[in-house]
Amino acid sequence: MTAYLAWMEWRRLMRTPLAWTVLGLSLCLLSWQFLATLEIFSGMQPSNRSLGLSHHLGLQLFGLASVLILIITPILTIRSFSEAFRNGSYALLSSAPLANITILSGKFLGILIFQLLFTLMPLLLCLSLCIGTELDYGLLLAASLGLFLLSALFTAIGLYFSTLNENPGIAAAGSYGLLLLISLLDQNTESGSFIHWLAWPSHYLDLQLGLVRISDLAYFLILMSLFLGLALYRLDKRRSG
Amino acid sequence: MPELLTTTQLSRHFGGTAVVQPIDLQLRQGDILGLLGPNGAGKSTIMRMLCGDLAPSGGRINICGEDLLKRSIHAKRFIGYLPERPPLHREQTVDEFLWDCAHLRGLKRNQVQQAREQAKQRCGLEQTGRRLIRKLSKGFQQRVGLAQAIIHNPRVIILDEPTDGLDPVQIRQVRELIQELAQHRGVILSSHILPEIEASCNRVTILQQGKSVYSGEITPPQQTCYRVGLEQQQAVEAITELNAVAAAEQLHTDSYRITLATGYQASDLSQQIVARGWGLVELKAERLSLEQLYIQATTGGLS
Repeated sequence: MTAYLAWMEWRRLMRTPLAWTVLGLSLCLLSWQFLATLEIFSGMQPSNRSLGLSHHLGLQLFGLASVLILIITPILTIRSFSEAFRNGSYALLSSAPLANITILSGKFLGILIFQLLFTLMPLLLCLSLCIGTELDYGLLLAASLGLFLLSALFTAIGLYFSTLNENPGIAAAGSYGLLLLISLLDQNTESGSFIHWLAWPSHYLDLQLGLVRISDLAYFLILMSLFLGLALYRLDKRRSG
Repeated sequence: MPELLTTTQLSRHFGGTAVVQPIDLQLRQGDILGLLGPNGAGKSTIMRMLCGDLAPSGGRINICGEDLLKRSIHAKRFIGYLPERPPLHREQTVDEFLWDCAHLRGLKRNQVQQAREQAKQRCGLEQTGRRLIRKLSKGFQQRVGLAQAIIHNPRVIILDEPTDGLDPVQIRQVRELIQELAQHRGVILSSHILPEIEASCNRVTILQQGKSVYSGEITPPQQTCYRVGLEQQQAVEAITELNAVAAAEQLHTDSYRITLATGYQASDLSQQIVARGWGLVELKAERLSLEQLYIQATTGGLS
């Protein structure tokens, strides 16, 4: 049933102009960044190139993609619960023979299908160069994995805030607040401290550079599980009042 | 006949406020049970608890032998629920939405198509399958909400204000549909509109401030009243002194509504009036209307 719910959520999302607008605008911005990176790289003297093209793409293109995913995700996740609570459509799920964990997993996976499409865009742009140049496929795959894990983490955070409030505006504001906070936590904090560890940019940077480390994967999976667990707690709590 | 739904001492608190005080409900096959009460009486809260959307603070809910609190997923298979605001995905077409609803309610793949067509036919949606729900009128959206509630052929149908927003013809169609559905099922519907309950239900529970103040037949036989006309005007106190009279109410100068005391017949009443020489000119049985029942119940006249 989780798979059907995910499929249903994805189909519903793709029926909205929002999804297509987001994908279209993101593709334009990513393409612009892609061309700009190529232009800068091709204008550099070979002797000044300390990093290869794949590294440049990993840093520039996937860097922009992470910013875009931060902006997009709360807009997608508020629909899942906050808006459904407000317009009454959540009763369809809450009165159906479904456990809260099935509902949450279905909605989470439904958004992840969309995020997967988004993740493929920078990867496909990079792969378009494979005919004319040599690419570091491992690095590009690692960066794509990083972007997907980042979008899964942001989705879990967005879903948690979506379960907190019936007002989609407040839910979105809360998501943006926390996402910005964990984006900036590594600024002016001691490297190696817990607060520093909570910030996502350093973990994402490793993957952008092609370094797949267990500690970075664990960071994304732990925080994602934490916020999904909190969202599940909120759904149970909402039922019991 | 076995009971489809029973609640035992069902209650709900929000913070320190008792929104629903302990209430016992029973629903059998063929029953259309109306929950009647003013806004804020706790009708929707009870409905939400019955469909598993809200956990009760106390008490139990049993649906077709399954405990809704302990085995909610099993119990919910027997329920169809239409809340006050129809739970619709407005960006979908009617066909897509009902298709998803059938899957969510646990129907098998080979049953979905037939269930959807049957629900559409019952709710008069045959011509609207390919239309977007957001483009439908409020009345048709209400019908789609009703269709999702019955698509899996549930044993218990819970309808919160089902005729809200419908025109008189549609209201009549929905009432007929509810009557038809109740033949092999049980239906609970809530409304604050008395004629709606009176037209659709055979039993009623009247709620006031979260408390059940009356539960039973819409026209209980023991509450039969008589309209009595007298040539000579009498004080109400004089009439209530008669052995056959439990309660009396003056309607006009020479007209009274009399409730018989237990064990007395209309013939006893007429004999006692004639014996006093008050000049009996009219004695007519008057069924207690739901409105009278409601007013008596909410003002403390019924227990």
